[in-house]
Amino acid sequence: MPVAVADGRLAGLPRLGLGLGLRNVHFDAILSGEPQDLWFEAISENFMDSGGRPRAILHAVAERYPVVLHGVSLSIGSTDPLDRAYLASLKRLAQDIRPAWVSDHLCWSGVNGHNSHDLLPMPLTEESLAHVAARVRQVQDLLERPLILENPSSYVRFAHSTLSEPDFLRALAAETGCGLLLDVNNVYVSCFNAGSDPIAYLDAFPCERVVQMHLAGHQDFGTHVIDTHDRPVRAEVWELFRIAWARTGGAATLLEWDDHIPGFDDCLAELRKAERYMAGDTVSSGAAECARGGDGVSNPVGFLIPRAMASVMEDAA
Amino acid sequence: MSALADMQSRMHAALIDPRADPAAQALFARDGRLGAAGGLAIYQRGYFLRIAACMREQFPALCHALGRALFDDFVADYIRDCPPERHTLYDLGRRFADWMEARRPDGDAPEAWVDFMIDLARFEYAAFTMFDAEGNEGNVFATSDTADSALRLQPAFALGRYRFPVASYYHAVRRGEAPLLPAPEPCHVALVRRDYITRTVPLSAPHYTFLSAMLAGSDVDAALARISARFGIDPMMARDMWCGAAGSRDRWIEWGLFVAVDAGPVKDL
Repeated sequence: MPVAVADGRLAGLPRLGLGLGLRNVHFDAILSGEPQDLWFEAISENFMDSGGRPRAILHAVAERYPVVLHGVSLSIGSTDPLDRAYLASLKRLAQDIRPAWVSDHLCWSGVNGHNSHDLLPMPLTEESLAHVAARVRQVQDLLERPLILENPSSYVRFAHSTLSEPDFLRALAAETGCGLLLDVNNVYVSCFNAGSDPIAYLDAFPCERVVQMHLAGHQDFGTHVIDTHDRPVRAEVWELFRIAWARTGGAATLLEWDDHIPGFDDCLAELRKAERYMAGDTVSSGAAECARGGDGVSNPVGFLIPRAMASVMEDAA
Repeated sequence: MSALADMQSRMHAALIDPRADPAAQALFARDGRLGAAGGLAIYQRGYFLRIAACMREQFPALCHALGRALFDDFVADYIRDCPPERHTLYDLGRRFADWMEARRPDGDAPEAWVDFMIDLARFEYAAFTMFDAEGNEGNVFATSDTADSALRLQPAFALGRYRFPVASYYHAVRRGEAPLLPAPEPCHVALVRRDYITRTVPLSAPHYTFLSAMLAGSDVDAALARISARFGIDPMMARDMWCGAAGSRDRWIEWGLFVAVDAGPVKDL
């Protein structure tokens, strides 16, 4: 896909407003209530190979709401060959659901035929840039749409990295025509752990390429923070969102909540807080502080297993 | 191997076995709040905890039977020997029962409780897989009026044969009970999903043989002939087990075991 074509396709993507991550525990509430001004982000891998209830639910949601597909296993940065079976399955799902766009992460999730089920950081070098750019082009050609890539949360920085993450993503977008998903919680988490300035990160970020933003909660351990997606958005992240939302010209914004997930209405209420910051309100200190404990596991993909025993079993004995 | 490939291999090896390459932390910058070792440790810890949590969701009854600490120990050894291969976490437990069989903790002196754990793992993964398997929802199921010659098993169907009553143990855990480890007792079970509800159906040995034959492509008549031959049952009695007053036919049709097809050539096994 030529860069100019991808650029044109990106420019034509809709501004979806506010959305929520589609999670199992909310299925009934989403489909039983009156349609709202909302959109949903479905985790691609939860539905790609589904022959059961998840795929049927996604169909029903997509009939009522705009949907985007967000992947966690494309492994665009891996040195393993691209998984053609995975891509074929993703393309079938996209043809079936007709999402507004398809996204994944700037990361690798496995190598040598193994999968860590984590979003592992890339060394930010010219070698990595050439490697990822070549693979983004292949994926875009296969999916016949621009790929949207997200900045991951990270806890290490490679010693031999030569590029900043914003510069890497800017160059990648320019070379491939891909779009970007700016996760402002990930910006905060990565910058806090690296001891760098998240505002400087945003200043350097190519906001003109941002199609979507993510909001989420993280856990603060004092010495470091972990991207847990298990609590409300913290004040520092709302402030980054306020700045980034204006700079992106109002990119579609989505709240992720993946552990200790509250009821649908509570998630919606957390999401709607974004409207204040979209209107330019500054953030009061201490907003959305949450004292709940947790085991501090980063949670990019841990919610992908359904609780089959609890929800779908009957004994005919 | 490129520098990028080498780096990824080393970092991944350090996730699978943190003791394998103590020098792996040299890959990372030492500045920042966490330092190289602290940052790597977050990935190492998250790798195991995330997979263990997913395995507990796939094997809740086995986790109950072993206790969480011992279950997690098994998982740690399992994923070290069998690192995840596929993009879907649904696949995590696919090799677990076979791995337990190959790495039985009782070694050369087999103990019944290990056999039970292996069978329970096999049953639980089959039950978990049924949750999202290809099914027949949205299509027509057979009815009591469907001719026997047109009955075929639907796609979301599986059979299992076990040395212990694993299905009843599973459901006791599901009800929040604290069942004792059961004594050995041969157990045949069907799993079938209709309207996205998976049902476990206990079976007699002849029923299991009948459904095995149908799963292999036989029609009802051929499957009945199979159990007559296998168990020395009079053909009339076999048919009565199928569609007599206490037969299984209507009940199984109601539970969605069968779809109706245009009766064509079938395999006579």
